[in-house]
Amino acid sequence: MSAVRAPAAEPPVQAAPAPSKPPKPFDRPRFLPIFTGAFFVFMFAPIVIVALFSFNSSKSLQRFEGFSLEWYRRFFEDESLRESLVASIQIATVTMLAATALGTMLAFALVRARSRWAGSANILMLVPLVTPEIVAAVSALVLFTQIGWQLSLETVMVAHITFSISYVTVVVRARLAALNPEVEQAALDLGATRWGTLRLVTLPELWPAIVAAALLTFALSFDDFVLSFFTTGESPQPLPVRIYSAIRFGVTPTINAIGTMMLTVSALLILLAIMLPRLLGRRESGLGVLVGRETA
Amino acid sequence: MNEAGEAIRFDHVTKRFGNMAAVADLDISIRQGEFFSLLGPSGCGKTTTLRMVAGFEQPSEGSIFLEGEPVERVPPYHRNVNTVFQSYALFEHLDVTANVAFGLKRRKVDSGEIRERVKEALELVQLTGRERSKPRELSGGQKQRVALARALVNRPAVLLLDEPLGALDLKLRKQMQVELKGIQREVGITFLYVTHDQEEALAMSDRIAVMDRGEVRQCGTPEEVYERPEGPFVAGFIGISNLLPATVENGGVKLPAGQRFPAPVPSECSDGSDVYLSVRPEKIWLDEREDGMVSVDGTIVERVYVGTTTQVIVELSPGVRLVALEQNAARQRSDDRWEIGQRVTLGWHPEHALVLR
Repeated sequence: MSAVRAPAAEPPVQAAPAPSKPPKPFDRPRFLPIFTGAFFVFMFAPIVIVALFSFNSSKSLQRFEGFSLEWYRRFFEDESLRESLVASIQIATVTMLAATALGTMLAFALVRARSRWAGSANILMLVPLVTPEIVAAVSALVLFTQIGWQLSLETVMVAHITFSISYVTVVVRARLAALNPEVEQAALDLGATRWGTLRLVTLPELWPAIVAAALLTFALSFDDFVLSFFTTGESPQPLPVRIYSAIRFGVTPTINAIGTMMLTVSALLILLAIMLPRLLGRRESGLGVLVGRETA
Repeated sequence: MNEAGEAIRFDHVTKRFGNMAAVADLDISIRQGEFFSLLGPSGCGKTTTLRMVAGFEQPSEGSIFLEGEPVERVPPYHRNVNTVFQSYALFEHLDVTANVAFGLKRRKVDSGEIRERVKEALELVQLTGRERSKPRELSGGQKQRVALARALVNRPAVLLLDEPLGALDLKLRKQMQVELKGIQREVGITFLYVTHDQEEALAMSDRIAVMDRGEVRQCGTPEEVYERPEGPFVAGFIGISNLLPATVENGGVKLPAGQRFPAPVPSECSDGSDVYLSVRPEKIWLDEREDGMVSVDGTIVERVYVGTTTQVIVELSPGVRLVALEQNAARQRSDDRWEIGQRVTLGWHPEHALVLR
């Protein structure tokens, strides 16, 4: 082929691309705020309605006819409901204290023990978090019946504590693993005994995580239904179980009042989780630990 | 057993982790009031040595004596030493005052004296005015000062410092070196200082132990380890390394490419043995001579301007290079004179060269 070659082209000067559209910066899709808004509406609208109708002066669940505290009064006049509320608070308090103590100790063992079983223990510890609660509940029931332990508030507490330990451990372990070992060595170096180091340095450093874990277990235990239902005795029953038996005979606005109060208590707990570390002069909040933010 | 004025003695101390000896047969003695540095690359055993003195590790063999007393059975909280940690390890939940007072409180010193000593310590490290700050509100340099005050306030027999300036930027590090040395002179406490920064060790120490793979390669004053390194490791680790492989011949040395010149060959090196020739860069003259100098020709291959000096890298034969340092004095700018590719003659006095086995 003897095609005449075109004269060698000038070194191609890169033509600047036509100044059509400037490159589009990454836009947040418009529908995201709508999604988020819808999420909040679906989540909170029923709760708001329950709270609203708890102040309804009539028994209607459709029409709001006027403000009254009638249903709250009825709740506090109903002795068995009141006993259930007290029982639930007792269960949640005992669960919180015991599970926090045990879970924190377990976290220490998992992070600090240089055992060849540590790896397996770390995984086993997570099992309660993924076990269907119904399975845990039935197992607990079978166990209590087999060993002849009369079902009562104590059996509910034991079941709740067992179930809650893992939650505490997960929260505290993360904080403990992030703790600089030199900080504890510094305390030993400065003359603190091992016990003194734990008391004066390690626990204060873990404090936000421990507070967060405690409040979390209180909330979990307070509104738990499945475990409570299977492990409780005749009377008094934990509040969620008591509510369940009540609505079998029809939903009354008293239920709305109870729901609103439980919601208020939970909200107060969250507020406490935020405020407590600050009141103690710490910038971190327990809530920050839960949502994965170190400083609030 | 105790020599007068001995702060720490390592008596044939070995520390093994599994099969690996992190510290092997350490046998040195540190005088009271001395600023003693353990210098070496990471993993050389210097931090392990420090941790054995603090009580966080136990020697596998041998003993450590603190002021003449063996300390094997003494837990960290009863040892009369304090540590300044690399990470500062401040107590985040306590303010500056409480951090500094921590050690005194554990010793049940009465509160009036604690207040007085904490105040003094904070003055010493120039942190007056930050008493109520939390560690998170302080800069790196200030945290460093708190860590120092927290240890010094206890007036330990020995202060252990584990790369205390490692996390600071260069300028602050230089400034803290001077301050730290001044503080040591003022309080008169023995400092055992761990660093991998040779310049830092040279600038601050009374004596340096150069460590490599668990062993002390040389122990001496900064001048000794710099001017008379015992072996290629020390010569290479301290200062810019100018190590040329060479062979002993007729009381002098021969380079691989055949250049021969006189050098102070130690008597135990016989003809034909393989050695290293070491010449410090600042002892090499470029294209200038004095009587009695040896001279070698080469080609400039690189020129690195570093402010006060210029490093000129000269290739004597393929792969054999020497670094020469030229002062950038007012009368000349060496980058005007030295061009890459230019032929030059290097010269040095034979007594400034070292022959190392």
